[in-house]
Amino acid sequence: MNRKLASTCFVRFDEDRCVGCGSCLRGCPTKAIRVKKKKAIRIVDQCIGCGECIRSCREGAVSAATEGPEALKKDHVAIALVSPVLYAQFPGVMPKDVLLGLRQMGFQHTIDMSYFLEMFQYATEEFISRNRRSRVAPWPLISPVCPVVVRLIAFQFPNLLPNVLPVLRPVALMAREVKSRLIPEYSEKGKDVTLYYINPCPTKKDPVCLPPRKRPLPHEIALGINDIYPQLVKHVNQIEAADGIPFYQTRLEYETCATGNASTWAMSGGEIADMDIDQSLAVSGMEETISYLGKIEMGLFQDIEYIEFRTCREGCLGGVLNVIDKYLAKGAVQKMIKRFGLGKRLHRENILRMYEKGEFQSEKKASKLTRLFGAQKEALSIDSLKKIEKVMKLIKGTDCVACGAPDCRTFAEDVVRGDSALKECVFVGAQTKKKG
Amino acid sequence: MSKFRKSFHIKARDFIRAGEASINVQNLLKSMNFDSRLIRRIAICGYESEMNVVMHGGDGSLSIEVDTGKLVLEVADDGPGIADIELAMQAGYSTANDDHREMGFGAGMGLPNMKKNADQIYIESVKDQGTHVRMFFFLPDGAKTD
Repeated sequence: MNRKLASTCFVRFDEDRCVGCGSCLRGCPTKAIRVKKKKAIRIVDQCIGCGECIRSCREGAVSAATEGPEALKKDHVAIALVSPVLYAQFPGVMPKDVLLGLRQMGFQHTIDMSYFLEMFQYATEEFISRNRRSRVAPWPLISPVCPVVVRLIAFQFPNLLPNVLPVLRPVALMAREVKSRLIPEYSEKGKDVTLYYINPCPTKKDPVCLPPRKRPLPHEIALGINDIYPQLVKHVNQIEAADGIPFYQTRLEYETCATGNASTWAMSGGEIADMDIDQSLAVSGMEETISYLGKIEMGLFQDIEYIEFRTCREGCLGGVLNVIDKYLAKGAVQKMIKRFGLGKRLHRENILRMYEKGEFQSEKKASKLTRLFGAQKEALSIDSLKKIEKVMKLIKGTDCVACGAPDCRTFAEDVVRGDSALKECVFVGAQTKKKG
Repeated sequence: MSKFRKSFHIKARDFIRAGEASINVQNLLKSMNFDSRLIRRIAICGYESEMNVVMHGGDGSLSIEVDTGKLVLEVADDGPGIADIELAMQAGYSTANDDHREMGFGAGMGLPNMKKNADQIYIESVKDQGTHVRMFFFLPDGAKTD
């Protein structure tokens, strides 16, 4: 098994700050964390980048593998790719003003992802209405928007990979547009371009973790919303305080966001709210997501066509890198919807023309996804299962976490796999001492 | 050749925890890296049997046995038994009450679904004593279990 010390591709562990309390152990959905020797946190290579460990750490020892605003390279053309969750961090402020604030911070271009989310919505509706007749994919289809959900499926529910909607994710549509349209303009002039993804969660992989030939070109950097918020809020406040509406020329229609409702997407249910699908559901929260995926695997919900999953409670508003509390943010989004309604900017006909040309087809095959995300553990044999049962009888079974494993069953498995020693269990340790 | 067997308890009328036993069976099979389609078939059978016990049966258990060349899923309970097995095997036949239907159950597909997904199914039922269902899943040649 592939084990790494201290950090994964998505999160960083600060060993100096870690006190070995084990709070992060229970929250990890893939049981990827162990605490060893009180300080060092060992990460098994099973991290899906959900950020639950960041949420549960009281010492602030875990952080996302994102960069701060100092990463803004002055000699590069900086393009911000903005998740609409950012707008929800500024209650009552129009999305276009938030984007303007980003440009004042030093980004030459700001790309509004909600534009591509609309595109994705039309393409999804089309796929589903065709699937009603062709049945090429099984019901219920699962939204590919949350990458953590897709990794979770590849890792823990590989059965359900065919259920993942084979339409390109909004972030991929956005990156494709920027790479095919904006970047060539600059490369012709010999200028370097850096793409900055502004994210509410640690979903983007640290490029350092990728093999050199797979490292993204041009430069791509992930920024957390919390990383840029302190600077951005100053600019946004200035813009709001200014008399009249500041005008800022943008050339491409997705460089600004004229509508007020773009942040609807950040909310659980926002993806399906304006979709023309009768049988759809929105599920949010890690526990809830895992429980629903398990039920789909057992054959339930086949009468539902589409399920939007978000592993964060209340949707992306609940992402660990947000600044504003998720319920306050949700209130702000709901107010915006009241004011502006749902409505779209794009026209269905144009998107359908692109659909006909196959521009939305996701080429990722199920097996590729499994290879990408599924760090499958070595299979347990009948013998090892029996040994695990034996270990389970020796240890107390209270899931006390003192050994540094998230629960007794996982500890037993570690012992049988040879990764832990039985005496690391405090209960077993105390008994051997008594006898000795 | 060694076998491995593990049982999980099912409590009658406990709709809140219903499904846990079959999730446990699923996780166990996943840790052994069985073919995912096979796990799905067993998961469906496990869930349907578990729901039958929760809705109609008495307390019972769901067990999985890993053996050479085959997996055996067993569900047993000490409930009222199935009055007419042949009738119960018919798609759409159900003895569910209105409460069950309100929760979305009782489509009469439980046993038919189990029959469809298992390679072999054996049902024994004695009135007022309980029901015992055994489902066999044969592994393709070359699939290792030890």
